[in-house]
Amino acid sequence: MPGTTDNVRKPDTPGQMRFETPSLRTLAWLVCYDVNRTLGGLASMELLRRSLGARGWITDEDHALFVAISRLTPGTNILAYCVALGWQLAHWRGALVSLAAASIPASVIIALLSATLARVDEYPVIRVVIAIALIVATLLVLATAWNLLRPYIKGTNAVRTGIIAVVVVALVLMRVPPVRILLVAAILGVVMASPAAPLVAEVDR
Amino acid sequence: MSVVALYLLLLKATITSFAGMGSLPQVRQDFVVTHALISDEQLSQAVVIGRSAPGPVGAYVVAIGYFADGWPGAVAAWLAMVTPALLVIPLLTLLQRWLHLPRVKAAVDAVVIASAVLLLTSVIRMAMDAFDQLKRVFG
Repeated sequence: MPGTTDNVRKPDTPGQMRFETPSLRTLAWLVCYDVNRTLGGLASMELLRRSLGARGWITDEDHALFVAISRLTPGTNILAYCVALGWQLAHWRGALVSLAAASIPASVIIALLSATLARVDEYPVIRVVIAIALIVATLLVLATAWNLLRPYIKGTNAVRTGIIAVVVVALVLMRVPPVRILLVAAILGVVMASPAAPLVAEVDR
Repeated sequence: MSVVALYLLLLKATITSFAGMGSLPQVRQDFVVTHALISDEQLSQAVVIGRSAPGPVGAYVVAIGYFADGWPGAVAAWLAMVTPALLVIPLLTLLQRWLHLPRVKAAVDAVVIASAVLLLTSVIRMAMDAFDQLKRVFG
Protein backbone atom coordinates (compact mmCIF):
# COMPACT_ATOMS: atom_id res chain seq x y z
CA MET A 1 0.00 0.00 0.00
CA PRO A 2 1.87 3.18 1.07
CA GLY A 3 5.12 3.43 -0.74
CA THR A 4 4.00 1.72 -3.92
CA THR A 5 3.97 3.81 -7.07
CA ASP A 6 2.80 2.94 -10.51
CA ASN A 7 2.96 6.02 -12.65
CA VAL A 8 5.00 9.14 -13.19
CA ARG A 9 3.76 12.73 -13.38
CA LYS A 10 5.25 14.36 -16.48
CA PRO A 11 7.31 17.51 -15.85
CA ASP A 12 5.70 20.83 -16.87
CA THR A 13 8.95 22.08 -18.36
CA PRO A 14 11.90 20.11 -19.72
CA GLY A 15 14.21 21.31 -16.92
CA GLN A 16 11.88 20.29 -14.11
CA MET A 17 12.36 17.24 -11.89
CA ARG A 18 10.23 14.21 -12.59
CA PHE A 19 7.77 13.47 -9.80
CA GLU A 20 6.52 10.01 -9.07
CA THR A 21 2.81 9.95 -8.28
CA PRO A 22 0.90 7.37 -6.23
CA SER A 23 -1.58 4.90 -7.64
CA LEU A 24 -5.22 5.75 -6.88
CA ARG A 25 -5.31 2.93 -4.33
CA THR A 26 -2.26 4.25 -2.52
CA LEU A 27 -3.59 7.81 -2.64
CA ALA A 28 -6.93 6.64 -1.17
CA TRP A 29 -5.16 4.73 1.59
CA LEU A 30 -2.88 7.62 2.58
CA VAL A 31 -5.67 10.21 2.56
CA CYS A 32 -8.00 7.91 4.51
CA TYR A 33 -5.28 7.08 7.08
CA ASP A 34 -4.03 10.64 7.60
CA VAL A 35 -7.42 12.40 7.67
CA ASN A 36 -9.22 9.86 9.81
CA ARG A 37 -6.62 9.46 12.55
CA THR A 38 -6.98 13.09 13.65
CA LEU A 39 -9.90 15.46 14.25
CA GLY A 40 -9.44 17.00 10.78
CA GLY A 41 -8.30 20.55 10.04
CA LEU A 42 -4.69 21.69 9.94
CA ALA A 43 -3.46 18.59 11.80
CA SER A 44 -4.64 16.35 8.95
CA MET A 45 -3.14 18.69 6.35
CA GLU A 46 0.20 18.54 8.15
CA LEU A 47 0.10 14.72 8.25
CA LEU A 48 -0.66 14.63 4.52
CA ARG A 49 2.18 17.06 3.82
CA ARG A 50 4.58 14.82 5.72
CA SER A 51 3.51 11.48 4.26
CA LEU A 52 3.10 12.65 0.65
CA GLY A 53 6.04 15.07 0.85
CA ALA A 54 8.36 12.37 2.17
CA ARG A 55 7.57 10.31 -0.93
CA GLY A 56 8.19 13.28 -3.23
CA TRP A 57 4.57 13.44 -4.39
CA ILE A 58 3.98 17.02 -3.27
CA THR A 59 6.32 19.90 -2.43
CA ASP A 60 6.08 22.39 0.44
CA GLU A 61 4.98 24.99 -2.13
CA ASP A 62 2.14 22.70 -3.27
CA HIS A 63 1.10 22.26 0.38
CA ALA A 64 1.08 26.03 1.05
CA LEU A 65 -1.03 26.64 -2.06
CA PHE A 66 -3.52 23.89 -1.11
CA VAL A 67 -3.86 25.27 2.44
CA ALA A 68 -4.51 28.82 1.18
CA ILE A 69 -7.01 27.74 -1.45
CA SER A 70 -8.81 25.36 0.93
CA ARG A 71 -9.34 28.26 3.37
CA LEU A 72 -11.05 30.18 0.58
CA THR A 73 -13.24 27.29 -0.58
CA PRO A 74 -16.70 27.04 0.98
CA GLY A 75 -17.34 24.05 3.23
CA THR A 76 -14.91 21.86 5.16
CA ASN A 77 -11.30 22.95 4.62
CA ILE A 78 -9.68 19.51 4.84
CA LEU A 79 -12.00 18.12 2.15
CA ALA A 80 -11.10 21.00 -0.20
CA TYR A 81 -7.41 20.35 0.59
CA CYS A 82 -7.81 16.67 -0.32
CA VAL A 83 -9.59 17.51 -3.60
CA ALA A 84 -6.82 19.97 -4.55
CA LEU A 85 -4.22 17.32 -3.67
CA GLY A 86 -5.98 14.61 -5.67
CA TRP A 87 -6.53 16.98 -8.60
CA GLN A 88 -2.83 17.83 -8.73
CA LEU A 89 -1.78 14.17 -8.62
CA ALA A 90 -4.40 12.51 -10.86
CA HIS A 91 -6.98 15.10 -11.98
CA TRP A 92 -10.68 14.10 -11.68
CA ARG A 93 -10.04 10.53 -10.62
CA GLY A 94 -7.55 11.65 -7.98
CA ALA A 95 -9.88 14.40 -6.71
CA LEU A 96 -12.87 12.05 -6.37
CA VAL A 97 -10.83 9.24 -4.79
CA SER A 98 -9.28 11.64 -2.25
CA LEU A 99 -12.66 13.16 -1.43
CA ALA A 100 -14.25 9.76 -0.87
CA ALA A 101 -11.31 8.50 1.21
CA ALA A 102 -11.35 11.59 3.42
CA SER A 103 -15.10 11.73 4.01
CA ILE A 104 -16.70 8.27 3.87
CA PRO A 105 -15.07 6.54 6.91
CA ALA A 106 -15.86 9.44 9.29
CA SER A 107 -19.39 9.77 7.89
CA VAL A 108 -20.12 6.07 8.44
CA ILE A 109 -18.82 6.28 12.03
CA ILE A 110 -20.93 9.40 12.70
CA ALA A 111 -24.10 7.87 11.24
CA LEU A 112 -23.58 4.72 13.37
CA LEU A 113 -22.94 6.83 16.49
CA SER A 114 -26.12 8.82 15.77
CA ALA A 115 -28.14 5.64 15.42
CA THR A 116 -26.72 4.31 18.69
CA LEU A 117 -27.20 7.57 20.58
CA ALA A 118 -30.85 7.79 19.57
CA ARG A 119 -31.42 4.51 21.49
CA VAL A 120 -29.32 5.08 24.63
CA ASP A 121 -29.66 8.77 25.45
CA GLU A 122 -32.47 8.22 27.98
CA TYR A 123 -30.00 6.78 30.52
CA PRO A 124 -28.81 9.45 33.09
CA VAL A 125 -25.16 8.34 32.80
CA ILE A 126 -25.27 8.81 29.03
CA ARG A 127 -26.85 12.26 29.47
CA VAL A 128 -24.04 13.31 31.85
CA VAL A 129 -21.44 12.07 29.36
CA ILE A 130 -23.20 13.99 26.56
CA ALA A 131 -23.36 17.17 28.65
CA ILE A 132 -19.64 17.02 29.46
CA ALA A 133 -18.81 16.21 25.83
CA LEU A 134 -20.97 19.17 24.80
CA ILE A 135 -18.94 21.52 27.00
CA VAL A 136 -15.74 20.19 25.40
CA ALA A 137 -17.27 20.54 21.92
CA THR A 138 -18.27 24.13 22.78
CA LEU A 139 -14.66 24.92 23.63
CA LEU A 140 -13.48 23.30 20.40
CA VAL A 141 -15.95 25.35 18.34
CA LEU A 142 -14.72 28.43 20.18
CA ALA A 143 -11.16 27.49 19.18
CA THR A 144 -12.26 27.08 15.54
CA ALA A 145 -13.81 30.57 15.54
CA TRP A 146 -10.67 32.04 17.13
CA ASN A 147 -8.40 30.36 14.57
CA LEU A 148 -10.49 31.86 11.75
CA LEU A 149 -10.48 35.32 13.31
CA ARG A 150 -6.86 35.49 14.53
CA PRO A 151 -5.15 36.44 11.23
CA TYR A 152 -7.57 39.37 10.83
CA ILE A 153 -7.00 41.15 14.14
CA LYS A 154 -3.47 42.34 13.49
CA GLY A 155 -2.41 45.90 12.62
CA THR A 156 -4.73 47.94 10.41
CA ASN A 157 -6.97 44.93 9.83
CA ALA A 158 -8.22 45.10 13.44
CA VAL A 159 -10.42 48.14 12.72
CA ARG A 160 -11.93 46.55 9.60
CA THR A 161 -12.50 43.30 11.48
CA GLY A 162 -14.10 45.18 14.40
CA ILE A 163 -16.53 46.99 12.09
CA ILE A 164 -17.51 43.74 10.32
CA ALA A 165 -17.92 41.94 13.68
CA VAL A 166 -20.17 44.70 15.08
CA VAL A 167 -22.35 44.66 11.94
CA VAL A 168 -22.61 40.85 12.05
CA VAL A 169 -23.61 40.82 15.74
CA ALA A 170 -26.20 43.55 15.09
CA LEU A 171 -27.67 41.54 12.21
CA VAL A 172 -27.73 38.38 14.36
CA LEU A 173 -29.65 40.28 17.05
CA MET A 174 -32.06 41.46 14.33
CA ARG A 175 -32.55 37.75 13.44
CA VAL A 176 -31.27 38.16 9.87
CA PRO A 177 -30.54 34.70 8.30
CA PRO A 178 -26.80 33.77 8.16
CA VAL A 179 -26.64 33.65 4.33
CA ARG A 180 -27.79 37.28 4.12
CA ILE A 181 -25.33 38.24 6.85
CA LEU A 182 -22.46 36.74 4.82
CA LEU A 183 -23.63 38.62 1.71
CA VAL A 184 -23.72 41.89 3.67
CA ALA A 185 -20.22 41.13 4.98
CA ALA A 186 -18.91 40.55 1.44
CA ILE A 187 -20.38 43.88 0.27
CA LEU A 188 -18.97 45.61 3.36
CA GLY A 189 -15.55 44.10 2.59
CA VAL A 190 -15.64 45.44 -0.97
CA VAL A 191 -16.77 48.90 0.20
CA MET A 192 -14.09 49.10 2.89
CA ALA A 193 -11.30 47.86 0.64
CA SER A 194 -9.04 50.59 -0.56
CA PRO A 195 -6.26 50.01 -3.06
CA ALA A 196 -3.85 51.45 -0.49
CA ALA A 197 -4.96 49.13 2.33
CA PRO A 198 -2.50 46.33 3.07
CA LEU A 199 -3.73 42.79 2.45
CA VAL A 200 -3.95 40.41 5.38
CA ALA A 201 -1.14 38.31 3.97
CA GLU A 202 1.13 41.38 3.86
CA VAL A 203 0.30 42.34 7.46
CA ASP A 204 1.04 38.76 8.56
CA ARG A 205 4.43 38.89 6.91
CA MET B 1 -39.31 16.68 3.55
CA SER B 2 -37.83 14.82 0.54
CA VAL B 3 -34.19 13.69 0.52
CA VAL B 4 -33.43 16.11 -2.34
CA ALA B 5 -34.88 19.03 -0.36
CA LEU B 6 -32.84 17.91 2.66
CA TYR B 7 -29.71 17.82 0.49
CA LEU B 8 -30.39 21.32 -0.86
CA LEU B 9 -31.07 22.69 2.62
CA LEU B 10 -27.80 21.27 3.96
CA LEU B 11 -25.95 22.36 0.83
CA LYS B 12 -27.14 25.93 1.48
CA ALA B 13 -25.47 25.71 4.91
CA THR B 14 -22.23 24.02 3.82
CA ILE B 15 -21.67 26.12 0.70
CA THR B 16 -22.01 29.39 2.62
CA SER B 17 -19.53 28.49 5.37
CA PHE B 18 -15.74 28.62 5.43
CA ALA B 19 -14.90 26.06 8.14
CA GLY B 20 -16.27 22.69 9.22
CA MET B 21 -18.37 24.17 12.02
CA GLY B 22 -19.07 27.37 10.11
CA SER B 23 -22.32 25.92 8.79
CA LEU B 24 -23.77 25.59 12.30
CA PRO B 25 -25.71 28.92 12.40
CA GLN B 26 -27.42 28.25 9.04
CA VAL B 27 -28.14 24.62 9.97
CA ARG B 28 -29.84 25.78 13.18
CA GLN B 29 -31.81 28.43 11.31
CA ASP B 30 -33.13 25.95 8.71
CA PHE B 31 -33.43 22.70 10.67
CA VAL B 32 -34.47 23.94 14.12
CA VAL B 33 -36.09 27.36 13.65
CA THR B 34 -37.66 27.39 10.16
CA HIS B 35 -38.55 23.76 9.44
CA ALA B 36 -38.41 22.18 12.94
CA LEU B 37 -36.87 18.99 11.52
CA ILE B 38 -34.71 18.48 14.62
CA SER B 39 -34.64 19.94 18.14
CA ASP B 40 -31.93 22.17 19.66
CA GLU B 41 -30.93 19.17 21.79
CA GLN B 42 -30.43 16.99 18.70
CA LEU B 43 -28.39 19.75 17.10
CA SER B 44 -26.10 19.83 20.13
CA GLN B 45 -25.85 16.02 20.11
CA ALA B 46 -24.91 16.12 16.42
CA VAL B 47 -22.08 18.53 17.23
CA VAL B 48 -20.88 16.27 20.05
CA ILE B 49 -20.95 13.19 17.80
CA GLY B 50 -19.17 15.10 15.04
CA ARG B 51 -16.43 16.22 17.40
CA SER B 52 -16.10 12.78 19.01
CA ALA B 53 -15.48 10.95 15.75
CA PRO B 54 -12.17 11.19 13.90
CA GLY B 55 -12.04 12.89 10.51
CA PRO B 56 -13.35 16.14 9.06
CA VAL B 57 -14.99 18.51 11.56
CA GLY B 58 -17.78 19.32 9.09
CA ALA B 59 -18.92 15.68 9.14
CA TYR B 60 -21.28 16.57 12.00
CA VAL B 61 -23.85 17.37 9.26
CA VAL B 62 -24.13 13.61 8.66
CA ALA B 63 -25.58 13.31 12.18
CA ILE B 64 -27.95 16.21 11.39
CA GLY B 65 -29.10 14.35 8.27
CA TYR B 66 -29.53 11.12 10.25
CA PHE B 67 -31.59 12.84 12.97
CA ALA B 68 -33.75 14.54 10.32
CA ASP B 69 -34.44 11.55 8.05
CA GLY B 70 -32.55 8.39 9.11
CA TRP B 71 -30.07 6.72 6.73
CA PRO B 72 -31.31 8.47 3.53
CA GLY B 73 -30.84 11.76 5.39
CA ALA B 74 -27.30 10.76 6.38
CA VAL B 75 -26.43 10.03 2.73
CA ALA B 76 -27.94 13.36 1.60
CA ALA B 77 -25.91 15.12 4.30
CA TRP B 78 -22.69 13.39 3.19
CA LEU B 79 -23.33 14.60 -0.37
CA ALA B 80 -24.02 18.13 0.91
CA MET B 81 -20.75 18.03 2.85
CA VAL B 82 -18.57 16.89 -0.06
CA THR B 83 -20.14 18.98 -2.86
CA PRO B 84 -18.59 22.37 -1.92
CA ALA B 85 -15.10 20.80 -1.76
CA LEU B 86 -15.23 20.27 -5.55
CA LEU B 87 -15.33 24.05 -5.97
CA VAL B 88 -11.64 24.07 -5.11
CA ILE B 89 -10.83 22.95 -8.66
CA PRO B 90 -12.17 26.02 -10.53
CA LEU B 91 -11.06 28.19 -7.58
CA LEU B 92 -7.52 26.91 -7.89
CA THR B 93 -7.48 28.16 -11.47
CA LEU B 94 -9.47 31.38 -11.00
CA LEU B 95 -7.92 32.66 -7.78
CA GLN B 96 -4.43 32.53 -9.19
CA ARG B 97 -5.74 35.13 -11.67
CA TRP B 98 -7.99 37.31 -9.44
CA LEU B 99 -6.90 37.09 -5.78
CA HIS B 100 -4.27 39.80 -6.15
CA LEU B 101 -7.10 42.34 -6.68
CA PRO B 102 -7.64 44.16 -3.34
CA ARG B 103 -11.44 44.25 -3.61
CA VAL B 104 -11.76 40.52 -4.32
CA LYS B 105 -9.42 39.68 -1.43
CA ALA B 106 -11.28 42.09 0.88
CA ALA B 107 -14.66 40.51 0.06
CA VAL B 108 -13.32 37.00 0.74
CA ASP B 109 -11.67 38.16 4.00
CA ALA B 110 -14.91 39.84 5.15
CA VAL B 111 -16.88 36.63 4.57
CA VAL B 112 -14.34 34.61 6.59
CA ILE B 113 -14.52 37.15 9.46
CA ALA B 114 -18.33 37.14 9.40
CA SER B 115 -18.46 33.33 9.47
CA ALA B 116 -16.13 33.32 12.53
CA VAL B 117 -18.35 35.85 14.35
CA LEU B 118 -21.46 33.83 13.48
CA LEU B 119 -19.72 30.79 14.92
CA LEU B 120 -19.08 32.67 18.18
CA THR B 121 -22.79 33.47 18.48
CA SER B 122 -23.60 29.75 18.07
CA VAL B 123 -21.14 28.87 20.85
CA ILE B 124 -23.21 30.83 23.38
CA ARG B 125 -26.29 28.75 22.59
CA MET B 126 -24.30 25.50 22.75
CA ALA B 127 -22.86 26.40 26.17
CA MET B 128 -26.34 27.19 27.51
CA ASP B 129 -27.60 23.87 26.18
CA ALA B 130 -24.76 21.99 27.90
CA PHE B 131 -25.52 23.59 31.27
CA ASP B 132 -29.25 22.91 30.79
CA GLN B 133 -28.47 19.21 30.27
CA LEU B 134 -26.31 19.10 33.42
CA LYS B 135 -29.02 20.89 35.41
CA ARG B 136 -31.63 18.36 34.26
CA VAL B 137 -29.47 15.42 35.39
CA PHE B 138 -28.27 16.82 38.72
CA GLY B 139 -31.08 19.24 39.59
